[in-house]
Amino acid sequence: MAKAREQLIQTLEISQTDAEGPPAAARVVGLSKLFGKTSVLENISFEVAEGEVLVLLGASGSGKTTILRIIAGLEQPLNGKVILHGKDVTDLPARERGVGVIFQNYALFPKMSVEKNIGYGLRIRKRKRREIRETVDELVKLVQLEEHRKKYPSQLSGGQQQRVAIARTLAYKPEVLLFDEPFGALDTQTRSHLRREIRALLKKVKVPSIFITHDQEEALELGDRVAVLNQGHIEQIGSPYEIYSHPATEYVALFLGAANILEGVVRREWVEVGAAHLETSLDPAKFQQGDRVKIVFRPEDVVLSRRDLLLPGQQRIAPAVIEEIIFVGAYERIRLRLERDGAQSIMATRLKPETSGTRLHVGDRVVVAITSFTVLEPQKSTDDKK
Amino acid sequence: MRHVRGFDVMRPLSIGMLVFLMLPLVFLPLASIFIFGTSNGLDKFWAALTQPEAIFALELSMATSFWATVFNVVFGLFAAYVLSRYNFWGRNALIVTISLPTAIPTAVAGFALLLLWGPYGTLGRLLAPHGFQLMFTASAIILANIFVTFPLAFGVIKPVFDTMSHSLEEASATIGATRWQTFWHVTMPSLRGAIVSGALLTFARAVGEFGSTILVSGNLAGRTQTAPLYIFAKFNEGQIEAANAIAIVLALFSFLIFSVLFFARDWLDVD
Repeated sequence: MAKAREQLIQTLEISQTDAEGPPAAARVVGLSKLFGKTSVLENISFEVAEGEVLVLLGASGSGKTTILRIIAGLEQPLNGKVILHGKDVTDLPARERGVGVIFQNYALFPKMSVEKNIGYGLRIRKRKRREIRETVDELVKLVQLEEHRKKYPSQLSGGQQQRVAIARTLAYKPEVLLFDEPFGALDTQTRSHLRREIRALLKKVKVPSIFITHDQEEALELGDRVAVLNQGHIEQIGSPYEIYSHPATEYVALFLGAANILEGVVRREWVEVGAAHLETSLDPAKFQQGDRVKIVFRPEDVVLSRRDLLLPGQQRIAPAVIEEIIFVGAYERIRLRLERDGAQSIMATRLKPETSGTRLHVGDRVVVAITSFTVLEPQKSTDDKK
Repeated sequence: MRHVRGFDVMRPLSIGMLVFLMLPLVFLPLASIFIFGTSNGLDKFWAALTQPEAIFALELSMATSFWATVFNVVFGLFAAYVLSRYNFWGRNALIVTISLPTAIPTAVAGFALLLLWGPYGTLGRLLAPHGFQLMFTASAIILANIFVTFPLAFGVIKPVFDTMSHSLEEASATIGATRWQTFWHVTMPSLRGAIVSGALLTFARAVGEFGSTILVSGNLAGRTQTAPLYIFAKFNEGQIEAANAIAIVLALFSFLIFSVLFFARDWLDVD
């Protein structure tokens, strides 16, 4: 309890010193929320810079939708603040916040044409008819719906409806755009196509945006930064590269695609994993000699060598036996069992040039080495939650 | 199913059976109104129809039904909004109560109103000394109409509210609309079809109301006699032609309303 308070004070202090610089486009400070007696958000803080795209990535039930709804003003937090462009909007109703929400089902008004939908925000603001027409003209062009402007939402494809939804929010120049699982209702092909389209569009209009999604690929592709949520708290926030290559917790490592996790012990200049010594430089503030730690590496970081010949930069782990090889198109996925106590299995992937170079078969004995890995801070995730 | 050289015998048989059954039950009674009413020539029919008392009865029916419809549509909208947007203790009890009047015999409904508002009624007794007499006036007819058509508009509008995505209203709010703007621009257009059909149903039902009206109106010719009461009165007096003329008008009127309901369904629900 005392520790939690200490933490809260700490974050508040940090946020105050941060506020000295130019105000972030959007920031939330210390959000928490209960549904009944269950806590769905605990002390959530982050900010989105001008023109930046932040993705909140989490499984269902991680609280990501609640965060979005709190920022939009559709839900009230128990504690914490929502600040848009330096202004505290926590107590303002949704309609006075000037945020744009792109709902999962788009929530287009079914009895209004594309034009009417896009112009709605200006019509209810009682703008001049000429101004509304000019803005609508500009926006239908921007989202490439010129020939569909007279149509009704039910006559449009999912992707087109989504573009109308975006244009409808851009019309009133929102402080921030909030996307609620925007690709959830679409098939895989349309998804990746739309993702590129929206990314290009957002770079053009430069409105700071927050996406929520449970799809890690989507998060990595769309986000300038990604925040990984787990059961109401942020596990890690960073660039797609950071969170993928240097996950801070086991949860993040596993949530962002396949990951191998091995246990080890911290030594002076290396981590001891079984018989292997993996060289690394660790922050002495976070790690002490003798700490039991976990190391994480991706299947694509694994190198398999038949003759135990390693190149510089490859660090030997242990010999292993191939248990399964699955061909999945662009690469093959290999499951191996390490020949050491615990006999843990390891996943590796090999790209085409490699697979055609050295053929491997089930039952082959190879040496497993890795090209890069991350050492997780000891017991960090469990400590934080208490 | 027996097939004779690829021909389904059941098809013409069952259709024929259906029409044959409906003949004495529906088609023939309706047809006889028209056959009988026009058998003495159209000018006789016209003369019967343009009797001042007949015209008054039709006008009174239209006017009282109109006001009952206006009230019940507005009330139905409000009730549907409250009962589908908010969940509270007693919500289901309210829904059942609103729907109850359809199940109550209309004569009982009229009688109940008399017991409340009549000169010796629970409330009427208190109001009578002040010269306020609700029963045996056009207002009494409107009250009776409201009572017996109470759940009709509500019943059509509520399901539309229930299926309407709440995110439309949330979207409108985040775009910057007030509650009233959201209701007017977003919610109402989706309800248009339900409101029109609810109104037509209510009106059609109110125009035909007899059981409760005859009790609360006093059935005073030229003052509180509605079209159905006029038919009954003229029939009792043996003026079959006078009764028949009005019957034709009412029958045509309900045809009209139900054709609108039937054929305009697509228009009413354009998405």
